[in-house]
Order: sequence, then structure tokens, then C-alpha cells
Amino acid sequence: MAVLEQAPPTAPAGPRPRAMSAREKWSRRLPLLPALLYTIIVTQVPFLVMIWYSFQSYYWNEPGGSWFNGVSNYAHVFTDPDFLNAIVRTVTMTVIAVLLTVIIGTALAVLLDRKFPGRGVVRTLIITPFLVMPAAAALIWQGPMLDPNFGLLNYLLAPFGVNHEAWLSNHAYGTVIVVMVWQWMPFMMLIVLAGLQSQPGDVLEAAKVDGASAWSTFRELTVPHLRPYLELGILLGTIYLVTTFDQIRLMTQGGPGTQTTTLPYYLYEKVNYAFDIGGSAAAGVVTVVLTIIVASFALRMFARVFQFEEAR
Amino acid sequence: MAAVTYSKASRVYAKGAVPAVDTLDLGIKDGEFMVLVGPSGSGKTTALRMLAGLEPVDAGRVEIGGADVSGTPPKDRDIAMVFQNYALYPGKTVAENMGFALKMQRVPKPERDRRVREAARLLDLDESMLDRKPKQLSGGQRQRVAMGRAIVREPKVFLMDEPLSNLDAKLRVHTRGQIAELQRRLGITTVYVTHDQVEAMTMGHRVAVLSGGRLQQCGTPRELYDNPVNQFVAGFIGSPAMNLRTAPLADGGALLPGTVIPLPPGLPSGLSEVVVGIRPEHLRLTTKDNPGIPNGSSRLLSGHVILVEELGADALLHVRLDGDSGGDSGGVPGERGGDPVVARAEGRRPPSPGEKVTLSVDPADVLAFHPGTGARIAA
Repeated sequence: MAVLEQAPPTAPAGPRPRAMSAREKWSRRLPLLPALLYTIIVTQVPFLVMIWYSFQSYYWNEPGGSWFNGVSNYAHVFTDPDFLNAIVRTVTMTVIAVLLTVIIGTALAVLLDRKFPGRGVVRTLIITPFLVMPAAAALIWQGPMLDPNFGLLNYLLAPFGVNHEAWLSNHAYGTVIVVMVWQWMPFMMLIVLAGLQSQPGDVLEAAKVDGASAWSTFRELTVPHLRPYLELGILLGTIYLVTTFDQIRLMTQGGPGTQTTTLPYYLYEKVNYAFDIGGSAAAGVVTVVLTIIVASFALRMFARVFQFEEAR
Repeated sequence: MAAVTYSKASRVYAKGAVPAVDTLDLGIKDGEFMVLVGPSGSGKTTALRMLAGLEPVDAGRVEIGGADVSGTPPKDRDIAMVFQNYALYPGKTVAENMGFALKMQRVPKPERDRRVREAARLLDLDESMLDRKPKQLSGGQRQRVAMGRAIVREPKVFLMDEPLSNLDAKLRVHTRGQIAELQRRLGITTVYVTHDQVEAMTMGHRVAVLSGGRLQQCGTPRELYDNPVNQFVAGFIGSPAMNLRTAPLADGGALLPGTVIPLPPGLPSGLSEVVVGIRPEHLRLTTKDNPGIPNGSSRLLSGHVILVEELGADALLHVRLDGDSGGDSGGVPGERGGDPVVARAEGRRPPSPGEKVTLSVDPADVLAFHPGTGARIAA
């Protein structure tokens, strides 16, 4: 190393990359510009407006318009137990739902990876919940499925002693999670199935010849192979599930009480029921900051997952 | 260690389809190195996979060490297999790859480590390599790890499915020798599949030639080379390939341009032509100094050289015989006329293209085959 450091700093010999002219630079930048401008107008401008509002006292249902009230909106956000509870509830619901989608999705993917008559039909049927739009799914669950008096679920469970159970009133938290899992499990299953089908067949045959049982093969070879797929599934599933809004708005309205009030629904309520523009803007800013922190970790993991893929 | 027997074993992939392996009867002795060779689609790999238990046996039986294993799952057959693409476990280190079968047998870790190290030494795998993942290894190293995974087991039978086909030519020749030598040292019955007849000839104690799912001939490399039972084996074994051409019959012999080759007396009646086969080294270039073999019976063929392939020690002459039409039949062996014959000549001073040459051949070296069935017509 010492020898290298003593070497005089000389310009590298040989051909150098040709410098790009300004015209060339713009010819590459220009096609991206409309998309960039559009993104700035629809996301960054509203964000700046939101920051401005977060320092204002502004109630839609009170006369007098808005006036500057410093950081008192923020002070209120950090002391509001509803806001903190909404964060905790969002995190626990997302974690439980994602874990369940991973476990059920993997189990179904393993079953679907086998050849059996009618596999195509079964696969399509399992994917179907993913294709139903969340609002429509929520309405179907809330009415025909879960209605205390006429619901299909109570009808099916009647032989087991279930009688006019009001699922969305008495078990709101669990029921919302079930609907979230129902909607997103197919997505997880598809990702895991893609992973299973990318596993080379001769490796599995080698394991058979090496005397491994089906369970050992799964634990020793398939799970490590699936790791990047599971990571990707967990990451995307978390992004989707953490923003769940439709089901909560249409099935429970965040209730009973605040039992199912997640962060997106909390913000919605603050604007649309409390008309508290300043307070909801402050809560929104805090949410964005928290999201950026979590997302930058997630994106780093994303990058790692894809690097791992390339290195294989 | 154990003998292996295929007894009328068949594999049919789909109902009504041609069997991939058709009533195969083959006995492999304890400790023998048996090579299954054939072109693609000949059923050689299927036959190996039937022995491994990766393909079901649809009819007949497969035995290892005298016990019928036709219905036994692979893990209970006590076999080890080397796959064409090595099929190493990507997430495991070299040592874990090699020790995986032992782990599955619940062999304690110290014993496992000892045997992995021993196998690594046997294969010249560096100790430092044991902690690497397969993707950090070169093709040749991966091949050795795959071998190591097989020998750590000390199984009854080694199965190898074209283990050298992914190596470059030089490494292939080197590894070929290593595998043959390793097998001799370990003395474990080995079934080796290849499409490369040079590998088959150089490695096997005996070679089984398959075509279209059927066993054509099984014998020592020398037997196959000198006494092929049919036209397929004659054309498949040997490089460059035997010259095969259809020749009309004329009184007591086969008519080649300019000469008549006497044939064995046992010709079936009713034939109007016959396929004659001559190995390239049996076509000897005659010169002024060396006018053929000093043997009154040798026959002469004259023609002109159209291509010279110099191999160093010797040269291959592609000679168009006089009287042959210039039209090329597309190089299909056994096609009438047109095809140049290939002769092996001394490499130092081969004739140049265009030159007229005379080749001599001893009728004793000429093989004859039935033009319809391809069967050998022997004396």
C-alpha cells in the first residue's frame, strides 16, 4: 500500500469518456420532464399546502377562516391518544395480516405447485379475491357474508351453535383482519408460487437421491430458496395493507368506538367529521415523516432483495 | 457395492407412445464401470433415471444387489447420482452440499466432517473451498463437488448423467481420466451415461449402445469397435466414423467403383445389394514406395482428394472415388454413391486437395451389413 501511495497522481492514460454536450443532456432529460412535472404538481404542491395548513387553526364548521397558531396543532397531535392508538392499531393489524397472508399463501402455493387434475381452475378460483376491488369486496363481506340475521357465515356456522353473531360489532378487529387476509393472500400465494416454480427440478431430485424426506427438502432447500420471494411478498404486502381504507370505511367506520380506527381512517375522520383542517394537516405531516422513515428502510431492503436475485 | 440388473425393464411416457426404454435386459457386475451411450432420444438417461428411482418402471424389473427395487423410492435405494448440471444446493456451502446425504442419514457432525474432508482430498478440492457457495466456484470445481457429494455417501451404485458435458474440451479429457481412476480405486459399481462415444470407449469396462430405447449391443470397447453387431453400432462407435455405403452385389462380392470386395459366404439369398463398412484406418494410402499391403488379396480404390483434415499425428483424407457422381447425398451414411470416403493417413506429408490417390483395403477388414435390417453379415 505504501508504494501505491507514493506514486505521483497522474491523469489516467488512454482514451477518456467523451463529455456530453448540453444539448445531448437535454435530449435525454426532456422526455422525462412531463412525468416529473405532473408528479410535482399532484404530490409536492399539495404537500406544501398541507404543511402551510398544519400551522393554521382552521375549522370548516367555524366562521372566521384560518389564522396562524404556531406548533399547537403538532403539540395536539403528539398528545392525542387517538392518534397514537391509531398508529399502534395500524402496526398490529398490518403485522398480523401480513403474517397470516404469508403462512396461508405459502401453504396454498405448496399445494398448487403439485400437478393434479383441475389445477388451472383451482388456481384461478384462489386468485379471484385479489381481482375483486376492495370496496366491492367490503360491501359483500359486510352485507351478504356477515349480516347478523341473513349472513351466509352465520348460516354456515349455525350447526356449530353460532347464533345471529354480529361479527362486525362484537369481533370487529379480527373480522377486518380476516377480510384483509382474504383480499391479499392470493397475491402472496402468486409470489411464493413463482418462487417454487423457479426452483430447479434437478436440485429436488438430487435431494431425493440423497435420502431427504419431503419435509427435510422443504426446510433445508425450498425455504432458503424462497427467502427473497418471501421478503418481496412481505414488503409489498405491508405497503398495501398498511394503507387499508376501503374495508374500514365501508364495514366498521373505524368502530365500534375506535376499535378499528387505523391511521388512514383517523386522518379521514379528522377532516370529514371533525372538520379540523389544521389538526389533520399536522397529523398528515407526521404520518408522511413516519412513512418516509419506514419506506427508506423498506426500499433499502428492496434493493438488497433484488441484488440477491441478480447474484444468483 | 452391488450388481445391477435390468430385466425386461420398460418405460412408457404416455399411453400408446413408443417406449422410451423398451424391454431393456442388461446385467452390470459388481464393481463394473458400465457406460450407456447413444444419440439423444435413445433412452440412455431414462434408463439411468429408472435405476435412480426418478422414473417409474412401467414393465419388467430393476434390481440392485439382487433385490428388486422397481417400486422403491430413490432415498431407500442407497445410490448416489451426479447430475448433468450438477444440481448443487445453491444455498449450502461446499461442505454442506457434500455432507447433506450424511446429515439426512443422521450421521453425527464430526464423522460427517471427517468424511467430507476425506472426499475433498480424494478429489483435490482445496480445504478453503469447503466454506464457499457453489456460485463462487468454477465449472470444473462444481463438477468435483458434485462428484464429492456422491462419493461421500459410499453408496452401492454411482449413477452419472453426462457429468462432463458442461466442461470445456481440455478439462473434460482430464476429468475423464480422473473419474475412471477414482472408480477403479473405490471399486463401486458405476453406471455412466454419455452421448460421446469417445468418453464411452475410454472410460467404460463395458459399453452398452442404445438406440430408440433398445439395447443394440453391450460389450468391451474393443468388441464394439472390431465386431459391431449392426450398422448402427458400426456407425456410432469410432471417430472418425466408419465409412458405410450401399454397394450392389456382383458375383461373390460387393461392387465398389473399380473393384469387387469379396464377401463372406454366408450371404442371405435374395439380396441385390449390401452395406459395406470400412474403418478409415483400413483404407491405406498407396505410394510408389508403399504399394499397398504386400498381400495379394488387397483391393485398390482410386479417386481424388477433396478435403484434408490435419490432426497433427495423422490426417483425414476425404476422397471422392472415381466413378462416383459428384452430387452430394447430404452426407447420410449408407447412401448410395456420391459420398466421399474418409481415410486416415500419416500426418507429416498428406496429399493435397485435388491430388489423385489410390487406397488399398484388405477384404478381411471389410464388414458387411444387411441393407434392410442393418444386421451384420458375418462369416
